[in-house]
Amino acid sequence: MGESTWLNGLLWLPALGMVAVTLLPKGRDSLVRGVTFGCMVLQLFIAALLYQRFDGTVAGLQFATDVPWIRDWGVGYRIGLDGLNVLLVSLTAFLGPLVVAGAWSAVHKDVKLFHVMVLFIQFAMLGTFLAQDLFLFYVFWEAMLIPMFLIIGLWGGERRIYATLKFVLYTAFGSILMLAALIYLVLYTHGSSGYMTFDLRHLSGSQLPLNTQLWLLSAFALSFAIKVPMFPLHTWLPDAHVEAPTTGSVILAGVLLKMGTYGFMKLGFPLFPEAARAMMPVIMTLAVISIVYGACLALVQTDIKKIIAYSSISHLGYVMLGLASLDLIGIQGAILQMVSHGLVAGGLFLMVGMIYERTHSRAVADYGGLAKMLPVFSVFFTILTLASIGLPTTSGFAGEFMALLGAFNAAWPAHLAGNDLPLTLAVIAVSGVVLGALYMLWLAQRILFGEARAPHAPLTDLNARETAILVAIVAAIFAIGLFPGEPLAKTELAAREFQQRVAGETIQLGSTR
Amino acid sequence: MNWDEVVKAMLPEHLLLAGMVVLLTLEILRGRPRDGFVVAFMALAAAAAAALMLHVEGYAGAPFNGHFSVSPDASLAKFALIALALPVVLISRDDFAETRYYVLLLASLYGACLLVSSDSLPTLFLGLELMSLPVYALVLLAQLRADSAEAALKYLVLGGTATATFLMGVALLYGWSGSMSTAVFAAALGSSDTLPIAGVVLVVASLFLKAAIVPFHGWAPDAYEGASVPVTAFMATIIKAGVLFAALRLFETAPVARPLVDVLAVLPLVSMIWGNVAAIRQTSFRRMIAYSSIAHAGYLFYALLGAGPGRAQAVIFYVVVYGIMNVLAFTVLPRGTDDERSDRLESLQGLYQRRPFAAIMLAVSMLSLAGLPPLPGFVAKFLVFRNVLAAGYTGYAVLGLVASYLGIYFYLRVIQYMFMNAATADQPAGHPRRLALAASLLCLAPAIVLAFFPGWLLDRF
Repeated sequence: MGESTWLNGLLWLPALGMVAVTLLPKGRDSLVRGVTFGCMVLQLFIAALLYQRFDGTVAGLQFATDVPWIRDWGVGYRIGLDGLNVLLVSLTAFLGPLVVAGAWSAVHKDVKLFHVMVLFIQFAMLGTFLAQDLFLFYVFWEAMLIPMFLIIGLWGGERRIYATLKFVLYTAFGSILMLAALIYLVLYTHGSSGYMTFDLRHLSGSQLPLNTQLWLLSAFALSFAIKVPMFPLHTWLPDAHVEAPTTGSVILAGVLLKMGTYGFMKLGFPLFPEAARAMMPVIMTLAVISIVYGACLALVQTDIKKIIAYSSISHLGYVMLGLASLDLIGIQGAILQMVSHGLVAGGLFLMVGMIYERTHSRAVADYGGLAKMLPVFSVFFTILTLASIGLPTTSGFAGEFMALLGAFNAAWPAHLAGNDLPLTLAVIAVSGVVLGALYMLWLAQRILFGEARAPHAPLTDLNARETAILVAIVAAIFAIGLFPGEPLAKTELAAREFQQRVAGETIQLGSTR
Repeated sequence: MNWDEVVKAMLPEHLLLAGMVVLLTLEILRGRPRDGFVVAFMALAAAAAAALMLHVEGYAGAPFNGHFSVSPDASLAKFALIALALPVVLISRDDFAETRYYVLLLASLYGACLLVSSDSLPTLFLGLELMSLPVYALVLLAQLRADSAEAALKYLVLGGTATATFLMGVALLYGWSGSMSTAVFAAALGSSDTLPIAGVVLVVASLFLKAAIVPFHGWAPDAYEGASVPVTAFMATIIKAGVLFAALRLFETAPVARPLVDVLAVLPLVSMIWGNVAAIRQTSFRRMIAYSSIAHAGYLFYALLGAGPGRAQAVIFYVVVYGIMNVLAFTVLPRGTDDERSDRLESLQGLYQRRPFAAIMLAVSMLSLAGLPPLPGFVAKFLVFRNVLAAGYTGYAVLGLVASYLGIYFYLRVIQYMFMNAATADQPAGHPRRLALAASLLCLAPAIVLAFFPGWLLDRF
């Protein structure tokens, strides 16, 4: 029993949970919920243990497993923790029990299938983050579609079938071209190095001509950009979010969207560094458009869920901006922003779900003065609103600030060299912070203050279960906001490696002061 | 000729033949009508075991030199064909008690086994025809439907055309080379003369017709819809597999030269696109599966574009996975007394509420046919496109992948019907049957193995 056993346990626990829940007798809904919740909590413990023991000062994979899977093609069951995925794995494990607890009283139809699907997607998400083999990554990446398709399509709102088909067809289109690109990449490496492997460590060493790199990166980037989602590929997101049940929204906003940015960070940029540098202005521009456009759209929405959905587009724009800056602070900020957004947007969606369970309405206009009717709810909503805006001491501040700082760091030398585009983009991106404050505060003002009204009033305030969920999220938000150095110490080395790999020599000289 | 070799090398075929003889004898002796099922099942199980044994042993031999030979790969292909027929026979019992049904089924399988092992073009032709002829009768046997005669006739006429085309191609190849060996075909692939290329094109066209590649696909939707469920399952899996194995036998590992590549790539590509697009409009489950099988025939012929040992690996793996998943769908399909109504896609609405096991199995089958991971259909699709890319046809590979994307929608729609739509009042009850359950478990077990350990089959090449 080596150290890798713990990581395998973390990954396969949800899969075991799926089998266990499937075998449970019919009609025992609370038992199904209990087993799923227990499985998620156990998983959180393992993840916490792994996080604790993860050594940020050591390069490369930790707790790694490398077993041949399809020998003939050099496909292996390769998983491991590194600085890039350690925080996201922890985030996924952290949100797991909260998602199950959040759906405790919301799901009454096909309870068993629902929890099997939640465990399935948990398994697939952890697998995607942990995979160190391109084939394995793709299998997990695509496997996420099936449970999400059912979660939105079975337990969603009125237009759920339209929304879920749109979601699947959008994301599947991106992945199909990624599949072509990854086979091409492996075959190319096979041709130049003489042996076939899907091992990422080996593949990132292949020297492809720039032209090929551009094609392959475009295929990968399309898939990732749809998942993030970046403007102009974002149109599936509002539909999916609005129609999804609370659980679906939380998983989607909390973890699934990070798959896109993680994909850029783990595969897209490091596998094709020259092409990534060549495409950086385009990616930066799209990221900034996403920030501003997402925020503007969030301003004019009348549905609370839609406001948060569009704010996600805006917030993930910062992640892309930070990554594209290729500045160490920016990259670190991007990683932190991913985690922060997972917590904040996940928390906000949970809160919308809580109020929706009571009133069956998500329209902003239906609410007012909730602060008087639901004081506990309002306190948590205010905290999450402020975290979403990025108030100092919350996690949102650290992530957004560092991502923007990184963008300015990278833009300044370019500006001195006569290229004003990065600086212009960075300045525009800052306006997103103002817009973010505007739409979130306006939302809070409209629903929390003013004349007290809500459908189905009087309402009961949050119960102990709901309060516990939110306390956990708020605690994590403040923990990261107050002590960002702790998680960042785990990622710094990996971020530096990423930067060196992608930036190469030329840009690195400019950005290192 | 060595008699020991004749007995051993042809053991699977002999066992199938023995099954037929016993069945016919029983018919003469007027045994109970249900006997047909038991004998046929035992003959198939024995033949499958024999083929597996020959494969595991690595047996190679040529009892009829130049006409019939056995290799481990051929034994594996035979095992796949015969084993796929096992669940089909299990779901046949409700529809067919007559001996003749099982005799025809075994005869068709005998032909499929023969063509896998053929070394000469006449033997291949014999196998291909022996495989196809009983199926015309099998389609006609579906007395549940009025239009099965029309379907069978359409199939027969087009099948006859395919036969003639095949023979014409063989004649041209013989005229070019003066040899009847299957190796002539592989040699003609690399030639640039008109005569051999014309021969190859004619033979390939006849295979396209039998595998229902656009524009030779017109018979498939009618035949699939007109036949009874087990016969449709048989046609969609074993006949398609047999045709592809015939193609594999002819192409062997030889590379395909340029002008032929486009013939071999364009029509399958059009099949993928048309099959996947036309399937969207279907309201009958079996018609939808027919169009799906047209698209899958496209992927299978795509696998022939790449040369070398990867070709056999891709074709056999794809055929196995595609066959298992198709049969799985048919084993769990709810059946009512009114075949036409229970075949409608709407009758699947709310299936998850009524019969969760059937709905989940059908979902597994659909997702696998759509090629979504982690189901084995993905590895099969991956293999095909890896081969095409490895052969250097990047453009065709990308177009093919996009065509496969078009197929995702209609498979997902089946899942949508079963899980997300509410049941309507007049759905066929379709109570589960024990034999059908056994058949679906027979499909499920290898599907799970192939999903988690595809290497188990892939490393056999």
